[in-house]
Amino acid sequence: MSNLTVVKKPELLAPAGNLEKLKFAIHYGADAVYIGGKQFGLRSKAGNFTFEDMKEGVKFAEKYDAKIYVAANIIAHNENLDGAKEYFAKLYEIGIAAVIIADPALITACKEAAPNLDIHISTQASIANWRTIQFWKNEGIPRVVLAREVSVDEVRVMKEKVDIEIEAFIHGAMCISYSGRCVLSNHMTSRDANRGGCAQSCRWKYDLYEDGTDDSSNISEQADEAYTMSSKDLSMVEYLPNLIDLGVDSLKIEGRMKSIHYVATVVNVYRKVIDSYIENPHNFYMDQKWIDEIWKAAQRSLTTGFYYREPSENDQLFGPPDKIPKYDFAGLVLAYDKHSKIAHVQQRNSYKVGDEIEFFGPNFYQFKQTIQEMWDENGNSIDMARHPMMITQIKVDQPVSYLDMMRKNK
Amino acid sequence: MVFKYPELVATARDVEEAKQLIEAGADAIRIGHQQYGLRVSGDFELNDIKKTVKYSHDRNKKVYIVTNAIFHNANVDKLPNYLDCLVDIEVDGIICGDPSIFPILTETNINLPIHWNPETLSTNYDTLAFWQSKGINRALLSNELGMDAVLEIKDRLTLPVEVQVHGMTCIFQSKRKLVTNYYNYINPTELIGVEELNDKKLYIKQIKESDSNYPIFEDCNGTHVMSNEDICMIEHLEPLIKGGVDSLRINGILNSREYNSKIVELYRKAINLCCDSTDGYHRNKGIFKHEIEKIQPAYRILDTGFYYKEQIY
Repeated sequence: MSNLTVVKKPELLAPAGNLEKLKFAIHYGADAVYIGGKQFGLRSKAGNFTFEDMKEGVKFAEKYDAKIYVAANIIAHNENLDGAKEYFAKLYEIGIAAVIIADPALITACKEAAPNLDIHISTQASIANWRTIQFWKNEGIPRVVLAREVSVDEVRVMKEKVDIEIEAFIHGAMCISYSGRCVLSNHMTSRDANRGGCAQSCRWKYDLYEDGTDDSSNISEQADEAYTMSSKDLSMVEYLPNLIDLGVDSLKIEGRMKSIHYVATVVNVYRKVIDSYIENPHNFYMDQKWIDEIWKAAQRSLTTGFYYREPSENDQLFGPPDKIPKYDFAGLVLAYDKHSKIAHVQQRNSYKVGDEIEFFGPNFYQFKQTIQEMWDENGNSIDMARHPMMITQIKVDQPVSYLDMMRKNK
Repeated sequence: MVFKYPELVATARDVEEAKQLIEAGADAIRIGHQQYGLRVSGDFELNDIKKTVKYSHDRNKKVYIVTNAIFHNANVDKLPNYLDCLVDIEVDGIICGDPSIFPILTETNINLPIHWNPETLSTNYDTLAFWQSKGINRALLSNELGMDAVLEIKDRLTLPVEVQVHGMTCIFQSKRKLVTNYYNYINPTELIGVEELNDKKLYIKQIKESDSNYPIFEDCNGTHVMSNEDICMIEHLEPLIKGGVDSLRINGILNSREYNSKIVELYRKAINLCCDSTDGYHRNKGIFKHEIEKIQPAYRILDTGFYYKEQIY
């Protein structure tokens, strides 16, 4: 970085599978959140948002000056096209800031029904070169989401050649195929992957055979190791300044199916890294505790994907899974009384007196303590919080706030 | 003639196979090079393309060049020069699937018919109408569509439509070297090259006992997994022909020259019969199917793909 360069602050974009997750993502520092509606989205198993939920989400986001995007990223078939115009008109009316689209049929519908609603081209379109970005720029598209196969050197050229917003994934699970170019599910389970039915067949175990029809050549059996095509999860936490310097406009976290603990933890870390770097790029250093924090939400081993080199076997999941410390989201802070130092905590996973727990909240606030004393809602002393969603009162060592979280090592 | 003859398109691995397939009855040959196109049967250098075009044009047949790679910056920058060469050679069309082609053609003032083939992404009439407005001249439909969807798209579009009627289909493409990676994992001391891998004719099985397999191979575009079934529509040509579908394609990748020639020959006969006399076609279609069954390799299912199969999501 030269001293004269002003580093532009990128947007931190987080996923939300439902309204509660949306609120946590924004409260923990996301500048924008992407969600799915009841139609045209790829995560048919995520909770997804009714129009009413979206309205409430938009209202909540306004308080934080955050934006809401809606993913309408299916590859549509003829029968899916009905109602698209009405849908996009409604999203615009609700105050959605942009829609994420892969299928040009839906672009046409959106442009017609809601000309002022921004369109972002989804990663499902596998945008991997600057000429394709130029095409979308010529179409009046303000932002493209890059294919996960793109390297930082390629991003640099794209930024130089085309004046357009670039959104790139920084964290989460990845398709090991080019997104949108995999129909394993369609063939193996009759579920259409490109319309939300993905059965994750790539992560299944297979046998690999050599030499056509000769059954004696089962390589997987000989090696005692199943053939599989499962990617480690992406994490750019240690290299984020690199993407910020390149001028990537939006840094995207994957995971509309993930828990609020996951979303809050990951968003909190990236918020901290972005803010620390922007505040003082020259004296920035990577704090080990940010990396440690990312691992508390990790579900698989981590990789930087295609950003720095072509992924090898070391970026795939083979054999028994690596040991990753597992944390439970134990409870949610609902209230805190500074005089008595008592926190009201709603149970999400059981905890008991004597457990070592960790509280954390936005701005990377966190501390550990042991639960010394605990009461139920009515003030009766208890040893253990057994019941889901029960309210407990816990004496805390340091102040906590509404929507702080309490986690426990499994 | 009762119905218009649709074009019969076949893929070739080299000039020799292109000649054989034209002799067997193909109207057009689909060829290319892996540097620009996806899942070509064999790599054609420009000189070979030239020979194929000469041979085909002399016999009033056409040659289409596959340039539907998912381009990255490095190969997209080589595309204008390649397209220039294809214009000089007078190919009859390019088969594209990446929107990069549109600004390139505009900027270079190159004029080549575009056949749109983004594989899995060609699934509805509005999408294809969008690409038509950008300049495509033919729509190749995704293989994951039902017959009703194919016919509805044909009905609603003013654009010529092509579908695959025979052979395997690609069901997965990754940029990663997923076979090399696996070999490196199970045997880290002995590194293996791509050519050596593909010589092994690799396939994967979901379940050991399964009597079918999914071929898998690597090239410069990454790793490709192919279907465990060969689409075979020889008994179901009538709705396609009646519906006015303009081109029917046979994908001969990973099959023998003899097999491919025979398949083209049989489809040529079946198509002609179906166009000339529906009754004659229905009387003979079982025989055509039987002829195919006789040469069908073991472990390869013959079925009708997604033409008559429901999908959920």
